[in-house]
Amino acid sequence: MALTRRIFLCTLPLCVGILSACSPSLHDSSSSDESRELFSITSAGPRAPTILVFMPDTTQTQQVLSGLRDELGKDYRLVALRVDASSPPSVIEGALKRYAPAGLVLMNNPTVSAYKAVQRSHPEMRFPPAVVVMTSFLETQAAELRGTTGISYEVPLITAMTNLRRLLALPSERVGVVGRAGLRAYIHRQIELCALEKIPVVTEEVSQRPNPSELKRAIRRLKQRVDVIWIMNDDKLLTPRLISEGWMPGLDERPWLPSIVGAASLVSARSNLGTFAVLPDHVALGSQAAGMLLDIADDDWQVPSGHGIDLPLSTTTTIDLAQTEERFTLKTDALQQVDRIVK
Amino acid sequence: MSGRLLVYLHVAIKQRALQSDMESALPGVEVIAVGRVADFERLLKDRVDAVLALPVVLSAYKLSPGLHGQRAGSSEERYVLVGVGSAPVASRITSVGALDLLGREGTNAFVKNLIGASPKVERVTKFEDLLPLLQMQRADCVLLPARLVPDLARASKLALMVQDIQKGVGLPAAASVGQNGPELLRAISRMRANVAKLVGVDQWH
Repeated sequence: MALTRRIFLCTLPLCVGILSACSPSLHDSSSSDESRELFSITSAGPRAPTILVFMPDTTQTQQVLSGLRDELGKDYRLVALRVDASSPPSVIEGALKRYAPAGLVLMNNPTVSAYKAVQRSHPEMRFPPAVVVMTSFLETQAAELRGTTGISYEVPLITAMTNLRRLLALPSERVGVVGRAGLRAYIHRQIELCALEKIPVVTEEVSQRPNPSELKRAIRRLKQRVDVIWIMNDDKLLTPRLISEGWMPGLDERPWLPSIVGAASLVSARSNLGTFAVLPDHVALGSQAAGMLLDIADDDWQVPSGHGIDLPLSTTTTIDLAQTEERFTLKTDALQQVDRIVK
Repeated sequence: MSGRLLVYLHVAIKQRALQSDMESALPGVEVIAVGRVADFERLLKDRVDAVLALPVVLSAYKLSPGLHGQRAGSSEERYVLVGVGSAPVASRITSVGALDLLGREGTNAFVKNLIGASPKVERVTKFEDLLPLLQMQRADCVLLPARLVPDLARASKLALMVQDIQKGVGLPAAASVGQNGPELLRAISRMRANVAKLVGVDQWH
């Protein structure tokens, strides 16, 4: 069952790819709006308000787009333009002028960074309301954006644990998390939410850039006090070295505890890293974003004041069945509650 | 037997599992289980022989049911509102979570008709997504068939409180829409009881 370091390193590009699902690598900053158009639906007629979507072209963003299309396509002119990490802010500026959209959807971190730059360079300009999705730790960035709301990309721990509760028979439900001080506020919010479901959360804080030994020590300490380990989608704690020299040996030591991860690629039959992955359902994420836009439209295209960042409501789940059967106890009919089973 | 059956029902298990259970109960039938109305609409145009859905959905798509589900002798089932801490009162709620049966307008109308009030409707596409609406306080309460309340409660330690609704909702029904439709409806009527129970039915007529 144990994953050798060599095999693991071969799988890393996939892991990293998923962790940065919103970081595409297409390069054509000179393209015109027409060539950037990924999708356009105009069945609502020429007078229908335009919703402009800025997005990289990835499998996940296309799924979000399909959720948007299903909800908005009948009533709005929906146009999706490709924006990637190398796109200059002028791409967004030009599209705003050309399409005069009533509302925007921004997908992923580089897109949001480019949009921030546009807003900063035009402090006098009134921007259409925007909904941001697929952006890491969006709550920490929202204050820097005007007329913007969105849905955070991280699945709340309460949702992950509620899902796990359906699957595994656990002695109790204490969850342990290794976190950096920089994410203390985020972890605190998770603790508050989990308290609603009477799920205690124990934290082990590590330095901003821990080495594998520090991480392993934190995992060992946590294992003495909890029943489940939650591995946050923190790229600073999920470097290839920390995964192979910290997380994997730490989790492979007894006592074995189930671990929850936020990327399907971290659940693999070849490793014991993640027992169970919970990640946003991307089509449903698109529908949820569309719902926010419909509410904004009802409010005369204004983001309601004080509207914070919503949490993703719908998730998909993946379980490592071999690891689970070897180490833990599945509840009866548990597999009927899982979207994807890795054997 | 052969044919293509489109199932559009919200149940307490994953669509993948429902599809697999129904395929094993209907040998030779290609079962496609979906939970999103847009997927249902798309697949309805794709060589389907029969459709299994709630009567309110069949009616919205102008499909005539040829087979009706029953439970305990009734072709309707009870729905309830579930809130946290206190039983919801329909006239006082400002938002309600509901399974998205018919898109925004259709689902809003369905909910309004059922509870006799017009709160904001937060739609979700899966049964298990109703619980996050309560946990994250996105809705005052959620609307669901009474038979699914134990499944909701099993996953949560919130103080869930239930309020009955007077009006009933039709149990799943099947409509023939293709060449093999009549044969599929006969097969559904003989389907194993444990699989029919997954969709809330103990008898077909």
